[in-house]
Amino acid sequence: MARVELRHINKRYPGVQALDDIDLDIESGEFFTLLGPSGCGKTTLLRTVAGFNRQDSGEVRVAGERIDGMPAYRRNIGLVFQDYAIFPHMTVGDNVAFGLRNRGRPRQEIAERVARALDLVRLGAHAARLPHQLSGGQQQRVGLARAVVIEPQILLMDEPLSNLDAKLRIELRDDIRDLQRSLGITTIYVTHDQEEALVISDRICVMQGGRVHQVGTPWEVYARPATLFVASFVGAMNVIADLRVGAGGALALGLASRLAPVLAGRDCVTLAIRLEDMTVAGTSEDVPSDALALDGAVDKVTFAGREAFYRVQLDDGPQILAHVHRPERRLLERTGARVRLILPLANVHLFDPALGRRIEAVS
Amino acid sequence: MSPRWRPDFWSGVLVVALAVVAVLMVWPLYNIFSASVIDNRSGALTVANFAQILGRPAYQGALINSLIVGVGGMLGATLLGVPLAMLTTRFVIKGRDLLATLAVLALVSPPFIGAYAWIMMLGSNGWMRALLADIGIELPPIYGMFGILLVFSLKFYPFVFLLTASGLGAISPSVEEAAESLGAGPWRRFFKVTLPLVFPAVSSGALLAFVLSIADFGTPSIVGGKVRLLATTAFDLFTAEMGGNPGLASATSVVLIAVSMAVVVLQRWAVRRRDIAGSLIRRPSPQRLGPIISAAAHFVCYAIVVAGSLPSLVVIYTSFRKTSGPVFHPGFSLDSYARILGEVPHVIVNSFAFSTGAVLLIVILGTLIGYILARRETLAAGALDSVLLVPYIVPGVVMGLAFVVTFNVPPLQITGTAAIIILMLFIRRLPYAVRSSAAILKQIKGSIEEAAISLGARPGRAFLKVTLPLMLPGVIAGALMGFITAINELSSSLILYVGRTMTMPVRIYLSVLDGQFGTASALATILLAATGLAVFVVFRISDRKESVFV
Ligand SMILES: Nc1ncnc2c1ncn2[C@@H]1O[C@H](COP(=O)(O)OP(=O)(O)OP(=O)(O)O)[C@@H](O)[C@H]1O
Ligand SMILES: [Mg+2]
Repeated sequence: MARVELRHINKRYPGVQALDDIDLDIESGEFFTLLGPSGCGKTTLLRTVAGFNRQDSGEVRVAGERIDGMPAYRRNIGLVFQDYAIFPHMTVGDNVAFGLRNRGRPRQEIAERVARALDLVRLGAHAARLPHQLSGGQQQRVGLARAVVIEPQILLMDEPLSNLDAKLRIELRDDIRDLQRSLGITTIYVTHDQEEALVISDRICVMQGGRVHQVGTPWEVYARPATLFVASFVGAMNVIADLRVGAGGALALGLASRLAPVLAGRDCVTLAIRLEDMTVAGTSEDVPSDALALDGAVDKVTFAGREAFYRVQLDDGPQILAHVHRPERRLLERTGARVRLILPLANVHLFDPALGRRIEAVS
Repeated sequence: MSPRWRPDFWSGVLVVALAVVAVLMVWPLYNIFSASVIDNRSGALTVANFAQILGRPAYQGALINSLIVGVGGMLGATLLGVPLAMLTTRFVIKGRDLLATLAVLALVSPPFIGAYAWIMMLGSNGWMRALLADIGIELPPIYGMFGILLVFSLKFYPFVFLLTASGLGAISPSVEEAAESLGAGPWRRFFKVTLPLVFPAVSSGALLAFVLSIADFGTPSIVGGKVRLLATTAFDLFTAEMGGNPGLASATSVVLIAVSMAVVVLQRWAVRRRDIAGSLIRRPSPQRLGPIISAAAHFVCYAIVVAGSLPSLVVIYTSFRKTSGPVFHPGFSLDSYARILGEVPHVIVNSFAFSTGAVLLIVILGTLIGYILARRETLAAGALDSVLLVPYIVPGVVMGLAFVVTFNVPPLQITGTAAIIILMLFIRRLPYAVRSSAAILKQIKGSIEEAAISLGARPGRAFLKVTLPLMLPGVIAGALMGFITAINELSSSLILYVGRTMTMPVRIYLSVLDGQFGTASALATILLAATGLAVFVVFRISDRKESVFV
């Protein structure tokens, strides 16, 4: 259990800045997730902490001690791999014992700790098996036991679930979370699956192009995305880019607006709204004063069981996708119908088109 | 790389490897190159040696003959190997494993055994020729170009066969079915779809056949009669009575290397952008043939393979015949074995000792270098990788000459010792071990080793405890392969041996030139037995079977 501080970490590969001034504090016992698209530098950052690649500049501190000059085998860090990396020529028990043997622990102690670790991941009965006799999910649980049995200061996991099928992924996701809670071990977890990140994390760090876009709780990241990138990467979002703002802050789109004060002085803004954050109403519907209304025609209806999606062609140009919870049959036959989308201002996200930064719409 | 260079175990290995390669390969070859452009007497820079080779009819002839031998051996091997591969992979042929095993045995047996076995069959006094004459078929004795091409075709077809067979096995049947459903008949399908897809495999087998054909020294000097080749010319020029002509011998060697290199480049160019990695969902399943066609197909397959194995059988049979000196008598005996044990026991001991010594060195350094090439991407490792391609194209004769020129003067005066032969075997076969261990390592995920390190194992311990055990079957197979080629090596040993350090292949070669077929056969049988045993072990421990050998 330890606090992790990453200070101004930079790493350049030929032609790409893999890490661009990463500065993060991870609290003791926290489940901290690095989330971002492929190639954004998550693995690079994780391997820098683990000691498998060296940053060009910057510091890594664990529990206040600087570790970035230390070789990987001396850092007390547990690692869980995407491809399990189980030693195929050793039994499950030997795999888990490997780290303890490297530390020269007495036999008796090793046996006890291995047994306890295997019980923790519900593999107590499989200690004598060889890895190829286990399923993928079981192999990854061995990987987990092997990493935690050495009682590492921190635990690092690089997409540990991405080789598993959907059902196992959910099962093991919960196992990992429970194990982390019960051991209270500081964990840095890498994924590009935003839903997984939201479910499992205490805090999420959203990255792109080697840079940190936002660090926050799952709720903050989802409900108050700090940048346009976060908004569109986490969850599904309608984005209306480069909307013209008229004199005095009037929007070029929709009807009445209380946004004028925030928008005054700008000539352009990017607006985003989640699919489920608006209501689909008839064109005669009254518009509340704290909402924006957009009129258009239903272009396409997609039915997916417990939910449906409307694609609405707005009169003013772009298309918007709206989510309808528990759709009724009559609502599914409305292709071509005129509708009014009502967007409560509290749910509308505004971004500076040039910088991609959030503009607080309503205080 | 990290900005701060921290020397570790692996950088030490890299330094040692670079030093070994520099001393045992770069330096000797540099000496050959420089000797080729320096006048023997005056020491001045000259192109006269090359002018002679390209200008004088005798040397011109050797160059042209070498090209004919290369192309002929390659075509012969391809014409035998490709049909065999097609038939055995696409149709139900009984005893496919037996065919493959026999092909491998033919492949690993030394080529000069083939040469003199064919002389015993089709030479001036050959029994097969006599038999055929009895039934009215008069054949000329096989000495000359025909004999060389016959031996090479039957010797090198397994390369083409094994590579093509594995290439064909990697083509998804769906691709061919797609071609068929689009209206391509069997021939069109073969030429438009199948052949282009296996072309890389066929051509790398053919390339091997070419390079080995022009590099081989024993076969042309035993069965070639008056046909002069670059390899035999270089040898004669160097060992001639009157002190030889090192400049011209070196220039001949350089031409030989240049030809090999040109062909390698040509093949690379021909298969450029053809590295077709298909994802195999369905394996092709062999089809049944009608009874008549099936009988014909079986006949073709077995005829090729039996012809390829015939020399070994003849040699083994001959070794047990009654002899007195060069004359055979009716009946069987162990005379030949008694003679070799009485006269040249040290030759047998030498062969095993030198090969084992070389293999130990090869395994240790080859495994470590293989690791560096597979896991470390540095400039030095890249350089090492390209330098290690060199032995593939430098014939044994040339390497032998280079060693003599380099190591007969201080500071490293080791000519006439066992060490020079061991080091020669070592450097010639090192690249194969490096390649095979790098290939195995590419199959072992790097994350496994990182897992070990993250659990507190130092890099050396992680390698020993985790990586090495996983590599071991491949390393052992590679070691046995190295042993097989080392114990059968003739051309470079022939240049480097002295009486004390004579090896079995050298003794066999000299006996054959003397007409002592009995003792030659007994020694050759020992070689074949050792080789066969090694092949058997490789088959047992390796799941890739035949493909290990090419
Ligand atoms: N060894 C390397 N040499 C050169 N470039 C590299 C190397 N490793 C990573 N990169 C580059 O650095 C960037 C970040 O890579 P990284 O592996 O950290 O991404 P990632 O976020 O883990 O992606 P993924 O989700 O696909 O695993 C990428 O552009 C990648 O191409
Ligand atoms: Mg990654």
